[in-house]
Amino acid sequence: MRRIFQIADNEAECWLTHDGRSFILNTPDNALSCQLDPSGRPGGYVLKARRGVHELRLAVGPEATFVHMNGRTFEVGRVDPAERLAGRDGATGDDRLLAPMPGVVVSVAVKPGDVVTEGQPLLVIESMKLETTLTAPRDGVIAEMPFAEGDSFGLKDVLAQLAPEEE
Amino acid sequence: MSISKLLVANRGEIAARVLRTAKARGVATAVLRHASEQQGPAHLIADEVVTIEGPTPVAAYLDIPQIVEVAQKIGADAVHPGYGFLSENAAFVAALEEAGVTFVGPTSEVIDLMGDKVRARAFVEEHGFPVAPSAIEDDDPASFVERSRAVGYPLLIKPSAGGGGKGMRVVREDKALESEIETARREGERYFGDGRLFVERYIERPRHIEVQVMGDGQGNVVHFWERECSIQRRFQKIIEETPSPALSPEQRQEICDTAAGIARAVNYRGAGTVEFIYAQDGAFYFLEMNTRLQVEHPVTEMVTGFDLVAEQLRIAAGEGLSAVQDDIRQTGHSIELRICAEDATEDFRPAIGDILLLDEPEGEGVRVDSGILDGGKVTTDFDPMLSKLIVYGPDRAEAIARARHAVQNYVVLGVTTNTGYLDAILAHPDFASGDVSTGFLAEQAETLTASGEDVNDLLMAVAALSDERLVAEVMQIPEVHRRIGGWRN
Repeated sequence: MRRIFQIADNEAECWLTHDGRSFILNTPDNALSCQLDPSGRPGGYVLKARRGVHELRLAVGPEATFVHMNGRTFEVGRVDPAERLAGRDGATGDDRLLAPMPGVVVSVAVKPGDVVTEGQPLLVIESMKLETTLTAPRDGVIAEMPFAEGDSFGLKDVLAQLAPEEE
Repeated sequence: MSISKLLVANRGEIAARVLRTAKARGVATAVLRHASEQQGPAHLIADEVVTIEGPTPVAAYLDIPQIVEVAQKIGADAVHPGYGFLSENAAFVAALEEAGVTFVGPTSEVIDLMGDKVRARAFVEEHGFPVAPSAIEDDDPASFVERSRAVGYPLLIKPSAGGGGKGMRVVREDKALESEIETARREGERYFGDGRLFVERYIERPRHIEVQVMGDGQGNVVHFWERECSIQRRFQKIIEETPSPALSPEQRQEICDTAAGIARAVNYRGAGTVEFIYAQDGAFYFLEMNTRLQVEHPVTEMVTGFDLVAEQLRIAAGEGLSAVQDDIRQTGHSIELRICAEDATEDFRPAIGDILLLDEPEGEGVRVDSGILDGGKVTTDFDPMLSKLIVYGPDRAEAIARARHAVQNYVVLGVTTNTGYLDAILAHPDFASGDVSTGFLAEQAETLTASGEDVNDLLMAVAALSDERLVAEVMQIPEVHRRIGGWRN
């Protein structure tokens, strides 16, 4: 059973199997024998893995699994393999600027057809009383700016679309 | 004019904190709630929750006529504004006064004076208190260069019409002064269409140190010592502490006496904070006065033992302060951490989400002023600050150790928070030695957001094993296949 997880900015692929005695987490360069049991506290578990025993708290969200372990909190994003594949034809993730949070457009700096360079400000959004400037993820040409000044948008809405890169 | 019913015109952690003290004093309590707002701790504490309306939740909390009407309708004889929203709004104070409701805070005149940065600065200077040396070109253009020279180096030239750092020039030597003035003027004209300038002393690696003051409006003013607030991101504080590691006992006394003197000069009523810029050479200058309770007031409470909200309510009720200056002593050390829904690795971008699991730390010397509940929702409607973790220790090292232990055990799952970032700050050697300035977080950005020990394989194991569908699928595979390692679909 294949899964793709995203931790910080890194995506990693793994397969979960069971050898009759315990679960094995297989990654391209490793196989980790592991077991997860409830600890009795709300959201509390004990992970037994090769390196030892780890007490942790976890919560499964709609898109990510949140883990509190060793005094730190981690977010493990669950990437849908089908969705990632679909994104590869036509517009790749690299072509679209997605809203990092819901908010309102304060100003728009570019229009379709404009040539932009990586890091160039495209638009300013406001959310939670904070203004954030969103910049071009790469060099390219603006294909679409779907929102105008004053428009509201939701989480992960496309705020800017670059024309696909020519090979 | 005792207070029998108090309306708290605020929300989140500060509403809950004010309500707790009011209830403990036997005062009937009410708090506001916007129709779209999640239930928070304050709504569970208050005797009464009044729904307010507005196009946005923030607009409702800023709606003066509506809030005054609520106060009258429910028979509240006093309103506590908390911080933010209407806490420093003179029109709100005037409207309450007209309605015969007591405002827990200073007079509208004092709010007006201190809210105007130029007037406040002039007032403080006239009364003989230190302000950063400066020269305003408009005062007398002919003598501007000469007056700039008198400010002393290094100095900062700013366009009068400016903002956002544009057109600002730092000048370190006299020989560069005149040419830099001309450059700044051209930049001011280009950016703002206005070439007028002003000059002020440039403070290198400044600290932000503030002093808690309180007055009864009858001429009695006391201070509750200082707070060090140099740990800031986006010009907002995220860690505060007291005492300041920068001050000698003599400097501490001087800065606190200065703050009390400024408050005395305006015959201050209620709780206020005088903020100073503190230079590396020990000089300090008035920055501004906040005429309300501050977010970071709990650290003062931890080291003095006073409940500042109780003092506010006493003053508002005409009972005066419960203490004279000699009663107010600093004992031990306290640190506050602001727990915010934001991603420190992405330029502190606000985060949203559902709180799927909440387990807040407790223990000796640990206080949590929280504005969230398990199962709640973090939205973009309000400020990203979720709660405050305040610790007390007999000394600074112990306070830091307790703060680290507590923040490491502050479990908020479902929305990204800055707990790991706060812990990284506490672990930094420069924080431990107290050698910081307001630029600390920007200077150390890379160190503070470095990812720790790589536990990615363990995290993937947790994510995989907690995926019920995945586990069920794996277990359905016939035994014979399960034995083959690396089986894939």
